Amino acid sequence: MVHNLIKNQASARDFSLSSAAEGIAPPEHFLGFGLGLRTDHFQDVLSTNPDIDWFEVVSENFMVDGGKPKHYLHAIRELYPMVMHGVSLSIGSTDPLNMQYLRQLKVLVNELQPQWISDHLCWTGVNQTNSHDLLPLPYNEEALNHVCDRVDQVQNFLGRPILLENLSSYITYKESDMSEWEFFNQVARQSGCNILLDINNIYVSARNHEFDAQDYLEGIDKDKVKQFHLAGHTDYGNYVIDTHDHPVADPVWALYQQALKRFGWVSTMIERDDNIPPLAELLAEVETARNIAYDTLGRLQPLKQGEIVT
Amino acid sequence: MDKLPLASLQQKMINYLVNDDPNVTSTIMKQIKDHGRITRDVRLNIYKNAYQVRLKETIENDHEMLGFFLGDDLFDQMVLGYINAYPSDNTSLRHFADKLPLFLANTPPFKDHPIISELAHFERFLMVAFDAADAALFTRDLLANTPPEQWPDLVFRFHPSVQLAHFHYNSVETWQALKQEQAPEPAKEQPSDWLLWRNKERLTQFRSLPAQEYDLINMILQGASFADLCDFLLQEVSEEQASPLALDYLLKWLDDGILIKQKFIQQ
Repeated sequence: MVHNLIKNQASARDFSLSSAAEGIAPPEHFLGFGLGLRTDHFQDVLSTNPDIDWFEVVSENFMVDGGKPKHYLHAIRELYPMVMHGVSLSIGSTDPLNMQYLRQLKVLVNELQPQWISDHLCWTGVNQTNSHDLLPLPYNEEALNHVCDRVDQVQNFLGRPILLENLSSYITYKESDMSEWEFFNQVARQSGCNILLDINNIYVSARNHEFDAQDYLEGIDKDKVKQFHLAGHTDYGNYVIDTHDHPVADPVWALYQQALKRFGWVSTMIERDDNIPPLAELLAEVETARNIAYDTLGRLQPLKQGEIVT
Repeated sequence: MDKLPLASLQQKMINYLVNDDPNVTSTIMKQIKDHGRITRDVRLNIYKNAYQVRLKETIENDHEMLGFFLGDDLFDQMVLGYINAYPSDNTSLRHFADKLPLFLANTPPFKDHPIISELAHFERFLMVAFDAADAALFTRDLLANTPPEQWPDLVFRFHPSVQLAHFHYNSVETWQALKQEQAPEPAKEQPSDWLLWRNKERLTQFRSLPAQEYDLINMILQGASFADLCDFLLQEVSEEQASPLALDYLLKWLDDGILIKQKFIQQ
């Protein structure tokens, strides 16, 4: 459990298995069921204080000096645990690490005291040109060593392990000589980083590259996975695009259940980035995730702060 | 088939995203595996499309009124031109279109209508006001707690969100008309000064600055004291009017929330 260093910030909930249930108790770092915090919902979150375990925020959205978004962010942080999710680390780029970005990230980490920090196993730009997209790496030895070296630098700079997330991808380079999951798992093992497994991205990439999603799950070490993302996509028949603008699709819920069976209790959240519906709709999706997990692993009892199970 | 080093593969992929040259496309195409139900062309194009759409949406979000002013065709022409002229070199999309006013001022056909660049500039001023740093405000209460004998020596500092803008055309009036979904008046030369800032409710606000207030604000920016402001006003109004007028200005600025709390230096 990460303890609060700053007054007036919410700490993570504790969970216990309800006495009737059989199953394995969640690990200490388990945060429960959360949601990606979006600007459209700031007011609603503060006025309705929804019963949700935690929020994820996109780090770059708050790398500003001040103003309304930051004001809301801190007000919401007082009520909920948070994790930070970035899109600009560009861990796989052959450009030098962007130290200005890392310094901004560290400042925000100090402000928010998140439970953890994540970014993507990708590169976003090279030679001073930014694609603002999550571009896939070739999966080979050179890229593996390059990424592990940089993860090490980032973790040393931040003073803590990071989580890396798998992408949705549409191309495979001829330079690749191992599967994405072999590469991903090796990065986690060799660099000491943890894994944010995006269940939707596994589904999307499995469809686009015609592999078995179950092979992906089985290729990832159980103890490395600290967070799940669930999101929607757009299905074009012959291929699928990771649009994050729809509700979670049924095959992704099914894959989520398979992932729970393999990895056990993993902090799970709904990630919607576009076509943002009212807060209640997303909270209902969070409840769906919670119910699937309870059905699969046993019912949990969220405890109030300081409550002890007898 | 030669396997490329990582750096060279990444350079070819970025070149493909920012460049429409068919040779550049075929260079990266050679490195992509041909497999499954869709072609390499379709696969790569998903990335190219995402790149262009994301940058276009950024400009649309930042420059909504400019979009209404230009209409779809000219707006699309502007977006394509800007993306090609200024590929993003920043990690944050917040700053992607920072050079849009410059682009519009120098690129035909936009440069022939300077109000277009001014509209873009005005919208970027609003963005800066929106997320500039926070700072504790100088308030009526703090002023009341300042001993009267110190007032002449007071110097003022502006909130980080405060900006002074000068426009040569009726750009702000045009922006306001578009915002209210009304047809703007034809563009005309109409020099004016504007004050933009983020108010106490954290909303961006702006108003035009009459010449006298503009001069006073510029004096403050150059370090003038309250006594200096009163002296300046003495040249414009009678002796009895100068001090109350200076106080009126000061109270207005305090109520607007544009001055910040600071330690005053005793002269």
